[in-house]
Amino acid sequence: MSETLHTAQTWLARIRQLPLDRPVAVMNVCGGHERSLAMLGLRAVLPKSIRIIPGPGCPVCVCPEDDLADAITLATANRVILVAFGDMLRVPINAPKGQIRSLAAAREAGADVRPVASPQEAVAIAHAEPRREVVFFVAGFETTSAPVAAMLAEGVPDNLTVLLAARLTWPAVEMLLRDGHSTLDALIAPGHVATIMGANEWGFIAERYCLPVAVAGFTGESLLAALYSVLRQSIQGEPFLDNCYPELVTASGNIEAQRLLAEVFEIIPAMWRGIGIIPDSGFGLRGPWQRYDARLRHVIRTESRPRAGEMPPGCDCAAVVLGQIAPDHCRLYGKACIPSHPIGPCMVSDEGACHIWWQAGVRPG
Amino acid sequence: MCLGIPMQIVAIDRYVATCEAQGVQREVSLFMIADTDLAVGDYVMVHVGYALQKMTHQDARTVWDLLDHIIAAGAA
Ligand code: SF4
Repeated sequence: MSETLHTAQTWLARIRQLPLDRPVAVMNVCGGHERSLAMLGLRAVLPKSIRIIPGPGCPVCVCPEDDLADAITLATANRVILVAFGDMLRVPINAPKGQIRSLAAAREAGADVRPVASPQEAVAIAHAEPRREVVFFVAGFETTSAPVAAMLAEGVPDNLTVLLAARLTWPAVEMLLRDGHSTLDALIAPGHVATIMGANEWGFIAERYCLPVAVAGFTGESLLAALYSVLRQSIQGEPFLDNCYPELVTASGNIEAQRLLAEVFEIIPAMWRGIGIIPDSGFGLRGPWQRYDARLRHVIRTESRPRAGEMPPGCDCAAVVLGQIAPDHCRLYGKACIPSHPIGPCMVSDEGACHIWWQAGVRPG
Repeated sequence: MCLGIPMQIVAIDRYVATCEAQGVQREVSLFMIADTDLAVGDYVMVHVGYALQKMTHQDARTVWDLLDHIIAAGAA
């Protein structure tokens, strides 16, 4: 790591030399960024006046509770093979005591729930089980939605459908800034979302909201370079969009991936768990692709549940996702809620800020 | 999920490449970078089984240094 460490140290030294005369709050919107920041211990070595806030960077955390409930029903009542990324299995829903509260619990009760790491695995399962209906439950941002679009465009067996909870990242940031109450001073934009969608997608932050913004990769070097960029922009009062991940990110991104997204999906208003509906923030299947919509293929019987759609009682995940509180400010953090016994989605997912902070050693005060 | 893993291409069969990282081999779809010039030996950034973009060996090494660090920190 010596070479990288060296350049990371150089960026750190430059940041320390900046004439910062007031506290600054910088938000990152990517679970991968948060993981690097936490695991490399970057917050501890930065000047105290710099606060880096984890934002809406966890697709599992904002996956609607109703979609999870539908996935559980598909697996239990409709008896389909339910495949999902591993993170989704342990996310709890609000179900009365004694009832099935997660896909993992459904599996323990005999349902055919299978974790996968890629769309190809979902397709392979559908091929191997031609007589069964297979539903692929997809929560993810552009980095996952584009591969799912590619999977459908490449062709999938007829017994495979998707239950989509796929989201776009920038509309959530726009929502935070638009309401006028934001106290953010700058933004670090997600590197792999920008690899697909292009750095330019984040230009609105500088243009419309006059805030500094930089796209970052995941190494300490790239993250510190982006941080230095936004701090300098802030000091000089000249916000612009900087690309600090030019190794992978171009201004206009991966055009082929964008073409696949546009072919298979349309952009729709979408529910974010605990937050509400955000306009133009979800992917829905377009026209002919709707024959792969699990909701159109299967009749999903929904039971009324108390607190449906909400976060679990006492869980502040929505506030954590919106950057309003730090994970360890939740009353349950590290007490009732730990990774081996998660109360909310932010403690389940690898990209959830609560899980990442716990893994990085942050304990309740 | 968004972290991505750099992998080296060891074989290409149309839109599917066999890729390797840290001694582990996996099939990776090249469907999203079908227009990119790719050869055995090249490095790609892989996310959920799909190559997002071609990358240099040096950049792949830098990310693996980070992943090693995170894995070690997580295990500690
Ligand atoms: S610590 Fe647990 S209960 Fe609190 S916000 Fe995080 S996931 Fe929710």
